[in-house]
Amino acid sequence: MKKFSALLKVSVQSMLLSSTNARGRSRKRAATGLSAVALIAFLGLYLSGFYSYMLMQVLAPVNMEALLFIFMGMAALVGGLLFTTFAVRGVVFGGRDNDLLLSMPVSSTLLMASRVTAIYLENLLFSAFVLLPAGVVCAMMSSAGHSLLFWVRLVIATLFLPLLDTALSVLLGALVAFLSARVSRGALGQNIVMGLFLVAALRFSLRLNEMIAGLASNAAGVKESLGWAAPLLWMGEGVMGDWGLLGAFAVCCAVPFVLVVSGLGRVYRQAVTAFAVRAVRNNYRLSAQSASGQRRALLRKEARRFFGTPMYFWNAGLGLLMLLAAGIASLVMRERLAALAAAAGEALPLLPLAAAATCFCLCTCPIAAPSVSLEGKYLWILREAPVADSTLVWVKVGFQLLLTLPCAVIAGVCLSAALALPVWQSAVLLLTAIAFAVGHAAFGMLMGLCFPKLDAVNETVVIKQSLAVILSMFVPMAALGAAGGLYWLGGKAAPWAAVVLPVLLLILLAAGCIAVLARWGPGMLRSI
Amino acid sequence: MLRIEHYSKTYPGGRKAVDDLTLHVRPGEIYGFIGHNGAGKTTTLRAAAGVMDFTEGTITIGGHDIRKDPVAARQITAFLPDNPDLYEFMKGIDYLNFIADLYGIPADQRTAGIARYAGAFELTGNLGSPIGSYSHGMRQKLALISAFIRQPRLLILDEPFVGLDPAASHLMKGYLAELCQNGSAVFFSTHVLEVAEKLCSKIAIIKAGRLVKSGPTAELVGDSSLEDVFLELEGEK
Repeated sequence: MKKFSALLKVSVQSMLLSSTNARGRSRKRAATGLSAVALIAFLGLYLSGFYSYMLMQVLAPVNMEALLFIFMGMAALVGGLLFTTFAVRGVVFGGRDNDLLLSMPVSSTLLMASRVTAIYLENLLFSAFVLLPAGVVCAMMSSAGHSLLFWVRLVIATLFLPLLDTALSVLLGALVAFLSARVSRGALGQNIVMGLFLVAALRFSLRLNEMIAGLASNAAGVKESLGWAAPLLWMGEGVMGDWGLLGAFAVCCAVPFVLVVSGLGRVYRQAVTAFAVRAVRNNYRLSAQSASGQRRALLRKEARRFFGTPMYFWNAGLGLLMLLAAGIASLVMRERLAALAAAAGEALPLLPLAAAATCFCLCTCPIAAPSVSLEGKYLWILREAPVADSTLVWVKVGFQLLLTLPCAVIAGVCLSAALALPVWQSAVLLLTAIAFAVGHAAFGMLMGLCFPKLDAVNETVVIKQSLAVILSMFVPMAALGAAGGLYWLGGKAAPWAAVVLPVLLLILLAAGCIAVLARWGPGMLRSI
Repeated sequence: MLRIEHYSKTYPGGRKAVDDLTLHVRPGEIYGFIGHNGAGKTTTLRAAAGVMDFTEGTITIGGHDIRKDPVAARQITAFLPDNPDLYEFMKGIDYLNFIADLYGIPADQRTAGIARYAGAFELTGNLGSPIGSYSHGMRQKLALISAFIRQPRLLILDEPFVGLDPAASHLMKGYLAELCQNGSAVFFSTHVLEVAEKLCSKIAIIKAGRLVKSGPTAELVGDSSLEDVFLELEGEK
């Protein structure tokens, strides 16, 4: 047990340290990191609480509170899978400390169990953020949640649901790792699996939305149709008082977890070896090489890393796909959008809505933020090269802009056409999107320089959990919220102020980030 | 070529890794840098290569101050750390082209250089594979090829013989000698005293961050061996 605790501590520490940067070097940085984790917790709790409230308004009057926990359970399951499936390859199978730990006198099953438990703890956090606020809302809006036993049952459900999540994500993660090692173009294979997975998750989310929309008219029918999600049905009924079904749910979660850990644990050493092996080919024939400039070479290097690292591409590039998809979908579904706008009754503020959607997608593209940390052990290559520090900084910012600007402009043009915005509004939309994209890239780079994580055990922790990435997503969202506030305040003063003030704020913030980066960025890079 | 004047490096917490080091490497010299683990060799080499910042002193390469004019200084330098981590998401040939682009090496010159050095180190056939699939020795060879194709005026190497097979070590010694014949300089650290004694025209011995002896190898060693001199200076004999 002591060995397991020590191994688990290492796995959890490597995940936590990447988020908090709390390596004992700076209390200020540690405090900032913990604040970022608290921010995520707050957002999770807020979103879950908000949706639970909306659902309970429909479910409480018809005594169908169990459906709240079924839907929230589904949300926790899908969200947890999205969060951890792609982390599994790095955390469970691809740790840089594999050689060290596998050479120690611990069984490979124990080692695997400790790493899987770290994944479980991450899923547990996610489940708690989703299910516990639902319980609070249930207790506030119905008498069902007033007993102590209700909370005991809810905590049991919260503890067991992540076991199922973890078992599924470990299996999917193993498949991703297997394909990466077997397919000659490993990144392509992984990208295909990730794409399929995300499409499935999106389809499931849409189906969930349809079911939630049908609740008001036919809650009992919706519940009847959920036979395919029996364990979650049992969880819902179990939380509401059926101990037998809660027990069945717990068994349904625990058995797959135990089977996965014991099954994969037995072949863990072989799996880690097989997933790590990539055969060296010996058939290259040298031909005449071509030359290019420094900046182009550096940009190409960034592109190779971005497109060749599926974890990076899908975590930092999903917003790009969302921008393109939103733009094209708005054009394709132009008439439905117009009907929706007409059904709203009053004139919808289409310009701010389109700008907010575009900027929100841009927030989910933290490409520059982790790029400094991803240099990690390779930083010496750039340090010894005859390249100015300022060039290195601006190339990383430029690479993000190279991807985000075209996507933002395409989305802006498509949305303008689909919503039939006047020319001046289209121009304002594009200006807003460009200013936000520029500011976001510069801010992300600043965060990457302020909170570098050069010694992460794998790239997963840098891309998914580093403080730089978290801040470069949520702080721009807060700026977007501030711009929304100015729109509202400006609208009270004069119509022009509602448009000018938020755009001006975003331009000023972008200019500020660029100025700070230009003044201190190269020095910060040098001092890392 | 390389002038290190009163160089000191203090780490956060006050520990002085190198203290008032002065050392000159002239064109055509192969300069060996030896000392115990933790004596300050790697710290000095990394500072000389511009990879690490330092607190006191000046370091110039070909007349360019590494702190005031780092780009010009690095343009004529190649540095290889003791464990060269190379971009694993790149293929070997991509890495060589990346380095060649950063140093502005023309297409025909780089093609010829890659053909010559990759052929000699028997790595040409593997250049199409991702670096992530390379063994430690292959990575070491690739890093060496990337250094040689630059034809640097100063080559700085940290423990270059670690991980190389005997044939590759022999080949590398030949290329180092060739570089020096063409007017370049080589400054490298090693624990292999026999190699240092045979290969180096000059040797410096560093102990606890301070230079304790330096000079032409023949003068330093005299009738004894480098091992004896080293152990005597370190107080272990």
